[in-house]
Amino acid sequence: METLPPILVVDDNHDNAEIIRQYLEVRGYPITVAHSGDEALAIFEDVRPALVLLDVMMPGRDGWETCRLMKQHPTLGRNVRIVMVTALDDWSDKREALQTGADDYVEKPFDLPKLATTVQRNLAMLKAAS
Amino acid sequence: MNKSVLLTDSGDVALDAAVAQLDAWRAMVLPSAELARAIGRERGVRAVYVTVESPPALREIVESAHARGIPVIVGCKDDAARRRAIELRAEEWLRLPADADEIAGRVRSALMRAMPGDAPNGDRAERAEQAQMLYDFMTGLPTLPVMIERMRPLIKERGELVVVYFNFVRYSKIEEIYGWEKLDAVLETTAAAVKEFLDGHALQASRVMVSYTNDDDFIFFHVPPAGETRVSEQQITMLVGRLEQHVASRIEAAHGEDIAALFDIYLGLARVYYNPKLRLERLIYRGIREAATAAKSVEERERARRVEDLRTSLRDRAVYVDYHPIVVASTQQIFGYEALARGVMRSLRSPEVMFDVAAEADLIWELSRLCRSRAIEGIDTRLGPGELLFINVDPHDFADPAFTEREVTDPSRVVIEITERTAIKDYPKFRERLKAFREIGYRFAVDDAGSGYAGLGSIANLEPDFIKLDISLINAIDTNFIKQNLVESMVRFANEHGAQVIAEGVERAEEFETVKQLGVHLVQGFFLHRPSSAPAPAATAPASSA
Repeated sequence: METLPPILVVDDNHDNAEIIRQYLEVRGYPITVAHSGDEALAIFEDVRPALVLLDVMMPGRDGWETCRLMKQHPTLGRNVRIVMVTALDDWSDKREALQTGADDYVEKPFDLPKLATTVQRNLAMLKAAS
Repeated sequence: MNKSVLLTDSGDVALDAAVAQLDAWRAMVLPSAELARAIGRERGVRAVYVTVESPPALREIVESAHARGIPVIVGCKDDAARRRAIELRAEEWLRLPADADEIAGRVRSALMRAMPGDAPNGDRAERAEQAQMLYDFMTGLPTLPVMIERMRPLIKERGELVVVYFNFVRYSKIEEIYGWEKLDAVLETTAAAVKEFLDGHALQASRVMVSYTNDDDFIFFHVPPAGETRVSEQQITMLVGRLEQHVASRIEAAHGEDIAALFDIYLGLARVYYNPKLRLERLIYRGIREAATAAKSVEERERARRVEDLRTSLRDRAVYVDYHPIVVASTQQIFGYEALARGVMRSLRSPEVMFDVAAEADLIWELSRLCRSRAIEGIDTRLGPGELLFINVDPHDFADPAFTEREVTDPSRVVIEITERTAIKDYPKFRERLKAFREIGYRFAVDDAGSGYAGLGSIANLEPDFIKLDISLINAIDTNFIKQNLVESMVRFANEHGAQVIAEGVERAEEFETVKQLGVHLVQGFFLHRPSSAPAPAATAPASSA
């Protein structure tokens, strides 16, 4: 069986992170969870995720800053898809998201099938690029 | 003391110099086929630098090294090789050919990455931050603190250092117009071109290094070799000319003529003499400041010259117009043309530059009048039946008493583009002015729509017939779902308000397909047509299929 690319789930809310982890693990994705932006950045190089599901509202380094730093990583930055987990309601929110280098977003509270589709369409982009 | 071993299959001449930069290292060069086994056999191997292209061979080497906790640096000839390196989780990769600085730098950072993973998170986050500070992530060039440490012994020995400051003007404009992704790409090209140029230059022999200030300026250090005569100002001037040409030609090849015409490079020079009483860092920073000031004064001289060029151009009416086709997305039929006024003089070729100069010299109205009248000539000479002419008008032009709605004989052929970027201070008055134009048949387009954070409200205010999406939203839209979402909402908004959406800056087939699917009505971009001053083409086939 083809191994699926690794995903890093970042959410300070342990319950949310756990729900996402279980849902995606059942679908065969190797999942790593981090509970803060700092933790995510610290393990980023080890996990080398193909995709990061990144909560925006976190204490300390928030999702935007974490996204920006990940996208600036000299080797991994260009090969990671970052999906923000947030409700980007208006134009300026989405514009801000583009500014940090984010590729996509899923609204919060999320519905899980939508989350899976979002993950799939972003991984498909990586595949198309390689 | 036993030296650390860099095991490699690279026969590169830069390797010795790279190893010399590392503390107590030596290189061991073996054929690619023997590397994997040698990793387990040889003693003192602390890093592997591999350039083999065959994927199975590379995989075997990386796995063998990782099994022993040894970091791997992969030399990559192309993007495919780079992706393989990343997939295999090599600690570092570099682009071939690489110079000694680059190789040594990547070895250091690979070692850092390979450090045991049990350090507390805080430390490791800090280390990642530090690694980012040492090397610029886009250009791969070392940053200033790294440079100073590396040069310290050399400057002490030779007693002198030449600082050359590269001031790249108007790079910020690229970001403003095309978005930060484009500027990143242009900077990357620039850094590669500067490096390439210096590598091929005679000064290289006397040890030249390049650093980067994380903005759009570069610094270049030259430590004169023992016994060499000093670099003369004249040599530097010649160097500048050739370098500028080299960078411009690389940028034009990679990003097109419009972007290449947008920027200038100015160089400033300063000499720093070693003085044991003063801190070297301070000396160098002073030298950089001095060189930057010198570069600035060159820029000012050049500006003054351009203003003169502009005055001459206005007097001689030396402006011509390129017409850039706008096509219907579904049929690719020509819908109209955007008129792009350019200076005949080379220094004023870029419309952005020309209008910048005019703004500085308070000649905006004069230049706008000239450009408008030139563009309008195209209604008779250029347009086919039913086709429209899009002309750019600055909101300030509406205050020009000479700009009236009676300028054109058939206003229904003209679409006035107003950029969203210029703040309009007095909306009610401005709309009143537009009304007079609208009443006799002119149509309006909002240019650069969605470039700011303002969203759709400010667009609704202008009641446009056309909405021209900001180029930064179109660039790579096929891979970014947030951009797609924004464009989709703009199309919805336009449909509700009886307007048509134009996507400009469409450069690739994928971008074209995506905007078409999102319901964008009209498309403009190099993928379909290039702007040209020649008479209208008979055929309307896309440029790419020609």
